[in-house]
Amino acid sequence: MLERAGIPAVSLCTDAFRITAEAMANQMGFPGYQYVALPHPIASRTEKEIDEMARDALPDVIKVLGAGLTYLGVTPA
Amino acid sequence: MTQPESGAPDAAEARRAIEYYYEHGWTDGLPVVPVTESYLAEFLATTGRDPDEVLIPMPHLNKNLTVRLAAINAALAGCLPEYFPVVLAAWDSFLGDGMVTRSIWQSTTGTAPFVVVYGPARQRLGLNSRGNVWGSGFRANATIGRAIRLGAINGLGLKPHVFDQATQGTPAKYSCCIAENEEDSPWPSLAADNDIGPDDSAVSATVIRSVLHIEARHTTAPEQLAADFADSLCRTGALVRARASGYVVLNPEHARLFDKHGWSKADVRAAIADQGWRTYRDLARAGKEAIAGGTGWRLPADHPDARPQETPDDQNSPVQLITSVDAVQIVVAGAPNAGVSSIVETFGPFDRGPAITKVEER
Repeated sequence: MLERAGIPAVSLCTDAFRITAEAMANQMGFPGYQYVALPHPIASRTEKEIDEMARDALPDVIKVLGAGLTYLGVTPA
Repeated sequence: MTQPESGAPDAAEARRAIEYYYEHGWTDGLPVVPVTESYLAEFLATTGRDPDEVLIPMPHLNKNLTVRLAAINAALAGCLPEYFPVVLAAWDSFLGDGMVTRSIWQSTTGTAPFVVVYGPARQRLGLNSRGNVWGSGFRANATIGRAIRLGAINGLGLKPHVFDQATQGTPAKYSCCIAENEEDSPWPSLAADNDIGPDDSAVSATVIRSVLHIEARHTTAPEQLAADFADSLCRTGALVRARASGYVVLNPEHARLFDKHGWSKADVRAAIADQGWRTYRDLARAGKEAIAGGTGWRLPADHPDARPQETPDDQNSPVQLITSVDAVQIVVAGAPNAGVSSIVETFGPFDRGPAITKVEER
């Protein structure tokens, strides 16, 4: 939704919700929509573990963000 | 080989139709009733509403549950056409309740639709309000409840493992429709309490997480009975957010016990709300003594998301979990044959009455 409004965005979800994420993309007319899947779960992890997950996911987030910017015709700095 | 009797339906053809619906994923796992255009027309003829009228909008899923889709799914569920005005009133109540349109049926919690019917429609349609009220055996209860669930699956696209992300769900998802036992109750019905006239039928609806069995055959003291219900309503496992709420489905024997001691329904609700607390120690033992800043969920006080709070000097001090009588609704149902009642765990509302809609028949 944000991207359709011209705002670069990256969707994150845990791998337990992959099927739903892909169904949602299809439902909204955007099959193959790229998102970043994180290892499940989130709620029962410590703050340190969450920080590590965020660090590990960062390259993927940048990759998807870059693809989104290209799609929108913006050259990443 | 036995020949089918003259005029009997072709069972093989019926089975093929049933399998056709399975192949398209249009069931809840049980066989559905095949629906033709002419059969659908019988349902739509019971209401003056436009078949294209939207009952439940779900814009984030690009879906709308229309009157037509509700009718198709009522027919699939096994409803008779004359049940349809009750099904429509139930959908209107779900809209008024507000949880469904806030995506609750996509949540991992896995709530079931809960429908209660009041007034003369109960007798006219054969809805059970007496013994085995939660159990099986009554077409109107079974199929009206199922019509809602099938409407969610087929009309709103909330299929398990896809948009319905329930971690475990509840058996109540197959069907959960009861009627108030107004004849054996000492009090006016929940519908009457909410300004529905005595000649009108009505339907209340909300979403529920579970139905808890309450064994209370042991006492004739209304205070003890109220405490027993309050304890179950406030079990720590029910606490996601700060507060507790639910329906107490009183069997007529319990209702009469309260009435015999001069307690009105409002008195019972007030007593249960008043006793709706746990000690700080109880909550801390389960790690639910604090509230998260963002979500408002309960969690341990040492969790990084916990709002700062003072630990009480006396850990046995009460923490009030039911903060309004609106969080405790009472329906009388079941047989007047034992001290067995139930608690229906809801997601609120915490500070307003239930959503109830009058049944409009053509």
